[in-house]
Amino acid sequence: MVINTPLVQFALATLTVLALPLFLSSGILAGEILVFALVVAACNLLLGYTGLLSFGQGIFFGVGSYAAGILLTRTGIPVGVVLPLAAVMGAAIATIVGALSIRQQGVYFVMLTLAFAQMFYFLAYTFSGLTGGDNGLLDVPRPILAGTELTDPWPYYWFVAVCFLVLFAALLMVTRSTFGRTLIAVRENAERAAAIGFPVRVFKIVAFAISGAVTAFAGGLHAMLIGVAPLSNIEYHTSEMILIMTIIGGSSSLFASVLGAGFYMLLADTLSTIMPRWLLILGLVLITVALFLQRGLWGLVERLWGMITHQRVPGADNTLPDDTASGKE
Amino acid sequence: MTYLFQILNGVGLGMLYFLLAVGLSVIFGLLQFVNFAHGAFYLLGAYLTYDLTQRDFSLWVAMPIAALIVACVAALTEAVLLRRIYKLPHTFHILVTVGIALVIQEFVIIVWGPVGGSVATPQILSGIIILGDFIYPIYRLFVIGFTVVLAAILWWALEGTRLGAILRAGSESTETMALLGYNTLKINTIVFGLGAGLAGLAGALAAPIRGVDPFMGIEALSVAFVVVVIGGMGSYVGALVAGILVGVVQSLMATIWPEGARLMIYVAMGLVIVTMPRGLFGRV
Repeated sequence: MVINTPLVQFALATLTVLALPLFLSSGILAGEILVFALVVAACNLLLGYTGLLSFGQGIFFGVGSYAAGILLTRTGIPVGVVLPLAAVMGAAIATIVGALSIRQQGVYFVMLTLAFAQMFYFLAYTFSGLTGGDNGLLDVPRPILAGTELTDPWPYYWFVAVCFLVLFAALLMVTRSTFGRTLIAVRENAERAAAIGFPVRVFKIVAFAISGAVTAFAGGLHAMLIGVAPLSNIEYHTSEMILIMTIIGGSSSLFASVLGAGFYMLLADTLSTIMPRWLLILGLVLITVALFLQRGLWGLVERLWGMITHQRVPGADNTLPDDTASGKE
Repeated sequence: MTYLFQILNGVGLGMLYFLLAVGLSVIFGLLQFVNFAHGAFYLLGAYLTYDLTQRDFSLWVAMPIAALIVACVAALTEAVLLRRIYKLPHTFHILVTVGIALVIQEFVIIVWGPVGGSVATPQILSGIIILGDFIYPIYRLFVIGFTVVLAAILWWALEGTRLGAILRAGSESTETMALLGYNTLKINTIVFGLGAGLAGLAGALAAPIRGVDPFMGIEALSVAFVVVVIGGMGSYVGALVAGILVGVVQSLMATIWPEGARLMIYVAMGLVIVTMPRGLFGRV
């Protein structure tokens, strides 16, 4: 489908960046939506493109916010170096977690990633000298760029937006590259991909590393956004939330992830003001999505687009990115 | 002497972990379904016990009733909701069971508040037993005794009864079972209820030891996963050994390095996984 081509996907992401300031009064919320859009897209690289359902994405998010928090509060390293360093940390840890987890298949793999998520949570909790434990790392400063301080939420939002667009484009390029096509082959049939001669294990680990790098980068952005690197960024709940956003959005394209993150954040923002126990509603939403919306929110968009252009839409049983989304249909 | 005390504590804790893991394992074996609501059933069992004892029911009555209610809630959930989604990829199994877990957790907070509470042990089990210079709470001994008996019954049920045979056959091939004329839908519901009931019972037994709080479900879920990962999926002996191992590690570390007790569970898991990717007794 034309709406799944990289150019259209990037255009939609740009539109989102421009639209958020028009519709939202809170720069913090707008920034959070973009941060999580990145995190969810990185999760989707594993789920949609590699077929790996990782329950450990909170690890990389937390590591990124701690790395950025520690470097910014205890060293004089400029932000332009801090964020890439956070990404490198994320990639390194994702490589270890990925290498150990992919030795198992399917459900065991999911269980292992969840167990690792708990392991890193307790690491952060135990070594409170480094992480601030329950309180988190306080007073993480926002960056100063070209002599202007981005202390207000909206100027900082634009900084996040630029990072978001660059990384989103990079992820799109990864999925369009030969490497990305091979990931789809691995997802479809790992045995066959191995038989052809692809180093399947290495490809999965590299996918993990890329996902970890982007997620940790976003974690660093998040720490500066809210001024804290909190323990909650590395909790079970964060991993769960990232996975939920990914599945709600749909795993058939990368912009689906932006949609999933936006929907979740806005739902949370709206519902939590109305009722404190809004997670009850969220639980019901998840059940509904699984029963009736198996291609996620993006599946709805695809269906609408199909109606407008009279194209056949992939069925509900096919929840994955289609690898024929080239520019020439 | 302190170490013996802690090891006994660990065995008691480990038997509860075993109950959790075996339910998860059995459900997975038959339904090929990973149940992220398992921790929530444990949470519900604990809170129902708390509620009933608050209403002056004795613990003897409260525990079985709590486990039974959890089993019924789970069986109903299976019959109404879960059987519709078995055919879907496991992404959606996780989505739905995470949804159920959220609903149960929030329900618990709405009904009993966010703070938690403690459950008193009955007269006959409160107090301590003194053997020479060894002192031990009676309730914890009761938990060990009770769970050991239960584990033996479970072993017999899985290995020596018709239900066990059906279960083992079902985990090989549900289609063949259906062709042989078994009502697989009914079997699925019963098994899901039983597995969840075991989790509820573990929660009921744990309540007097650790009290109740709304987030004990998540903790229980991840520990159950760790036990399954260490022991190897689908292995009864693995769940037993790994459960006790995890319990003992946690208890011993609680005296040696309190802050790191929980962390060490996961470190132990990491060590096992690095050396034996399939777990101690895994066949897969």
